[in-house]
Amino acid sequence: MKEPTIVGFLCNWCSYEGADRAGDAHLECPANIRTVRVMCSGRVEPEFVLQAFREGASGVLILGCHPGDCHYKKGNYKARRRISLLRKTLGQFGIEPERVKLDWVAAGEGERFARVANEMAGTIRKLGPLDLS
Amino acid sequence: MAERIGVYVCKCGPNIGGKVDVDTIVNDVKDLEGVAAAKSHNLLCSADGLAFLKSEIEKQKLSRVVVAACTPKMYEQKIMRACEEAGLNPFLMQMTNIREQCAWVTPDKAQATAKARSLVMAAINRAPLLEPIERKEIEVRADVLVVGGGVAGLEACLSLAQKGRKVYLVEKNPCIGGLAARFEEVYPTMECAPCMIAPELQEVLQKENIEVFTHSELEETLGSFGNFTVRIRRKARYVNEEACIGCGACVEPCPVEVSNEYDEGLSKRRAIFTPFAGALPNVPVIDKDNCRRFKGEECRVCEQACPFGAIRYDDKDEVVEKRVGAIILATGAGLFDPKALPQYGYGKLDNVVTALQLERLNASNGPTGGKVLLKNGEKPKSIAFVFCVGRKEKEYCSGICCMYSIKLAHVMREKLPDAKLYCFYSDICVPKKEHQQWYDRVTDQGVEFVRSDGVVAVAAEKGKLAVKYGTGSPAGTVSLDMVVLAPAVEPSPDIEALAGILDTSRDDHGFFCEEHALMKPFATALEGVFAAGSCQGPKDIGDAVAQAGAAAGRILSRLIPGEKLALEPMVAVVDEDLCSGCRTCIPLCPYSAITRDKEKGTSVVDEALCRGCGTCVAACPSGAIKARQFTREQILAEIRGVAK
Amino acid sequence: MAKPKVAFYWCASCGGCEEAVVDLAEDILTVVAAVDIVFWPVALDFKRKDVEAMKDGSIAVSFINGAVRTGEQEEMVKLLTKKSGLVVAFGSCSHLGGIPGLASFWDRDAIFERAYKGVPSVRNPEGIYPQQKTVIGGVELELPEFHDTVRTLDQVVDVDYYLPGCAPPPDLIMSAITAILEGKLPVKGSVLAPDKALCDTCPRKDSKPDKLSIRAIRRPHEIIADPNKCFLEEGIICLGPATRTGCGERCINANMPCRGCFGPPKGSLDQGAKMISALGSMLGVEDEDKATEEEVESLVNQVDDPAGLFYMFSLPASLLRRKRMG
Repeated sequence: MKEPTIVGFLCNWCSYEGADRAGDAHLECPANIRTVRVMCSGRVEPEFVLQAFREGASGVLILGCHPGDCHYKKGNYKARRRISLLRKTLGQFGIEPERVKLDWVAAGEGERFARVANEMAGTIRKLGPLDLS
Repeated sequence: MAERIGVYVCKCGPNIGGKVDVDTIVNDVKDLEGVAAAKSHNLLCSADGLAFLKSEIEKQKLSRVVVAACTPKMYEQKIMRACEEAGLNPFLMQMTNIREQCAWVTPDKAQATAKARSLVMAAINRAPLLEPIERKEIEVRADVLVVGGGVAGLEACLSLAQKGRKVYLVEKNPCIGGLAARFEEVYPTMECAPCMIAPELQEVLQKENIEVFTHSELEETLGSFGNFTVRIRRKARYVNEEACIGCGACVEPCPVEVSNEYDEGLSKRRAIFTPFAGALPNVPVIDKDNCRRFKGEECRVCEQACPFGAIRYDDKDEVVEKRVGAIILATGAGLFDPKALPQYGYGKLDNVVTALQLERLNASNGPTGGKVLLKNGEKPKSIAFVFCVGRKEKEYCSGICCMYSIKLAHVMREKLPDAKLYCFYSDICVPKKEHQQWYDRVTDQGVEFVRSDGVVAVAAEKGKLAVKYGTGSPAGTVSLDMVVLAPAVEPSPDIEALAGILDTSRDDHGFFCEEHALMKPFATALEGVFAAGSCQGPKDIGDAVAQAGAAAGRILSRLIPGEKLALEPMVAVVDEDLCSGCRTCIPLCPYSAITRDKEKGTSVVDEALCRGCGTCVAACPSGAIKARQFTREQILAEIRGVAK
Repeated sequence: MAKPKVAFYWCASCGGCEEAVVDLAEDILTVVAAVDIVFWPVALDFKRKDVEAMKDGSIAVSFINGAVRTGEQEEMVKLLTKKSGLVVAFGSCSHLGGIPGLASFWDRDAIFERAYKGVPSVRNPEGIYPQQKTVIGGVELELPEFHDTVRTLDQVVDVDYYLPGCAPPPDLIMSAITAILEGKLPVKGSVLAPDKALCDTCPRKDSKPDKLSIRAIRRPHEIIADPNKCFLEEGIICLGPATRTGCGERCINANMPCRGCFGPPKGSLDQGAKMISALGSMLGVEDEDKATEEEVESLVNQVDDPAGLFYMFSLPASLLRRKRMG
C-alpha cells in the first residue's frame, strides 16, 4: 500500500544539509517524505502548507535551523509563530495539527534528521491519509 | 512559445543507478508536455558529463534544464556554469536531489524509484516557471570611514589607506590615540604605551590618504554598503589647526580652571587646553562651555598670547559630507562607575581610585608626572587592588582587569619597593600565553593575593582605609593607604546615539552586536558596517588591533577601487503595483534591507543589502514581494509535483 | 434601440446587497432609465418560468448575490448563466462565500441538529427535521436540497466579474454598471475594485509606525481604539493588510477594524493564509529572539478564533474550502 505523502520544506543552510548528512551515512529515511528546498524556514508560507494538503499530501514537515542559529538570523523565529498560528487554525478546520510539524535540524545532524523524519512518517501513518474530498 | 525542457538523470555510477530505476523514469518523463529531451548519464559532474550537458543545450535548443543527481549543494554551481557556457541563463536550471535524499536513504528500489520520479516531475513542473536572472553589479566607493581613533581605529586606518582608497578618521576627542595614549606600561610587554603607538599616530596624521577629523562626530549616515553618504560634524575648535604650531602659549594665561576629564578628574585644566602632554594633534581646543568669552565676558587672553594669530573666536561647526563604501566602528568603551556600589566608598573617601585614575597618576604625561601620590601628597605605603568591581552587576567578565591590575601591581612594586601591595580577588582570569607569567612574577615579588568571596566594604579608619573582605571564611580587614578599584568595562555613554545613527543593533549588554560571535566577530548584521575593539565587547589592545585588521581585510577584499560589487542575485523584489504600504515587511528584515518610500507609499528592498532569505516574501499579506528563484508560483509548482 | 436587459438574483444572502442597489439613491433613476430589469425577486414580480422562456444570452448582465448552498440556488444560477451574456458575482457572499460561508465549519446534519433540536428555545421532542420530499394529501412536495458545503458563485457557474463587499458600496456599484453599459470592462475574471490592499487608502496609514511589533492582542471591546492610530499598533487585529481596498474605509471611519469583506487583493489566493502569515510575523517580532517556546504559544493563543476571524467572509473561497468533518 502506498504511504501517504509528506511534503518536507527544508532550509538550504541547516536542515537540507542535515538531510544530506543522513544520506551520506545511508540512514534509512521515509520514502514518502518529498523535499522542497527553500533558502530559509522563514520563506515557508502557511499557504504552501494548505496547498500541499490540497494537492494530496497528508503531512507537512518544515525543518529549519535551531533557534539562534538561523543563517539569516531570525527567519526561524517567524516560522515558529506562523506555523503555531496555522496549526491552531488547522485544528479548527478538523485537520489534526500534528499533520504539520516544525522542527529544527542543524547542518551536521544527519541522525537527528532521520529520527525526526521517521517520527513524522509514523505520526502520519497513525493519523492515516488526509482525505479532503 | 512552449518551453523546451531537457531532463537529465544522473546514474552516478552505481550510487543512484543501483538504487533507482533511472531508465524507467527517463522513459516516463520523455513524452511529458514541454519535455524536449530526457536522457540519463553515468556521471554528469565529470568533464564528459558537463560537455554532454552543454552539447544537449545547444543541440536540443533547450530553454530549461532539469538535472536529477546528487545534492545541489555539491555541484549546482558547476552545472550552472556549464549552462551559462552553453548560452543558457544559469538560473534556468533546476536541480533535484535523488542521491543523498533518495537513493542513499531508501532501501526498497521500487520506493526509491517512485520517490525519484516524484522529485523529477516536481522539477519538471517548476522548470517552466524559472526566470532568467542577471547578476547585477553596482558601482561602489572604496573609501572608508573609521569612527574612533584608538588602537583599533589606527590599525584600521593604516591597513586601509593605500593607493586608490581614502580613509576618513572621525574622533570625538581633540586628540587621537584613545586610552592607550594615556597609559604608561601595558601588558604583557610592559612597554610604554604612548611610545608603542607613536609611530602609528604620526603615520595616521601624516599619511596622504588619511583625513583626520578630531573634535568631530559622525552625525548621519545614508545609503548602504558600497555607497554610504556620511555627514561628519567638525565641531568648532576655535583654534586654526594650520596656523597653530603647538607652542602652548595660549594655555598658561587662561584664567579658567576646571577638572580635567583626561586625567580622570585628578588635575585641572584651562578652558583652552590640550588633553595631556604629548597629545596629538598638538593643537589646543577651547571648551566653550567653560570659557569666559563664550559665557559673555570680554576676555581675549589666549588670542593675545598667541604669537601666530591662530585663535579664531568666530570658528563655527562645519558639517562635511563624504561618500564611502564601508564604515568601521572603533569607538571604544567606558568604565562602570563604582559610585553605584557605595560600599567601596568611591567618590566619598579619599584615596579610593579607579584603575584608570592610577594609570594617570602613573603616567609620565599625567597630572603628577608619573609620581603615585596620595591626596595629601605623600607616597602610599600600602595599596590594595580590588578585582571584579561590578562583575556581578554586569553579569560578564571584562577579561582585562585581572591582567591590568597585576600589571599595575608590578609597576607599583618597582616604583614603591617598600610598599605593601594586596590584590583582593575571588577569581583570577589570566588567559593567553604571556599572561600567567605575570601573576607568577608579582606573587614572587611579594604582592599578596587575598582570596575571598568579595570585598565587603572600604571605610575610613584613623586616617587610612580599612578594607573588609569576605562574608564567610576567609574574611578579615586590612588597613591600607590606597585602594584601586578594577571596574567592569561597559559600553560608552554615547554608543546608543551612534547605534541610532547607523541603525545597527546592540547586544543585551549594550555593546555593538557582532554578526556572528565565531565566524564574523568583526562585522555587524548591517552589510558594510564593521565593529572593532571594545565597542563590540571588552578586550585588550592586541585583540582590538586584530579585530580591526580583520574588518579592514574584509573591506580590502570586497571593495576594490575601480571594480564593481556583485550583488546577491536571488533577492526579494517589491511589486509597486501590488504593495499597499502596510509595512508588515519592514521590521522583519535582519539586514534592514527594507525601507519605506514615503513618496510612493510602498516598501522598497535595497538589493545591495538583501540576502535572499524570503522572510518578507512569506509575510506579505498582499503577496506583493517576489523572491527571485524561489517565487510562490515556482514553489507551488514543485509542491504540486511532490504532493501526489 | 432596446435597452439592455438586467437581472438581479439572491442566493444565501441577507438582503443587504439588494439594499445596496437601493442605496444608489438618485443614481438608481439613471440605472433604471438605461436598463430593463427583467428579473428581481425582491422587488419585481417576474417568475422563474419567465426566465426559462427567455432566449439564451438575452440577458445582458445578471447580478447574482448570495452564496450557493441549496439545490434551488444552484439551479437558478445555472439557469441565469445560460440566459445571460455576463454574470457578475455581486457582494461578498457570491464572491467569496461571505458570512453564510461560515456554515462550512459544519455540515447539514450538524446544522439541522443545532437549528431544529439543539437551540435552547426550540422544542422539538420528536426530532422532526425538514425533508426534501414529503407527501401531503397525496401530493408530493419538494424542498430544495440543503447542501453540506457552501459554495461561491464561481464554484458553480462561470463568473465574468466580481463586485466585492458586504455590501458593495454604491460608488463601486455605479462604476461597475457604468463600465458594463459603456463596454469598458477589464479582463474577464477581474474584481471590479482597486488591486491593492486596504492599507493603501486607509486614513490611518501615515501615522502607522514603520516598524510595528504587536506585544499583546486586544479585542475591539477591550479598549477604546485611538481613532488616529493604526489598529494593529494597539494590538487590535485588523484584516486591512490582507483585504482589497475600494470600500471607502467605512468600518475604519467608524473606529472598527477591517474584517476582510472585500476579500484578498490581487495577487493573493487565500486571504486567511496570508493574514496568518502577516500576523504571525508581526506578533512579538521585537523580542522574538528572547521568547521561549511557551511564550510563543501563549502569544499565539491570544488569537481566540483564527479560523473564524481570518476566514470570516472567505471560507468557501479559501484553499481548504470547508472544515473536514470526522
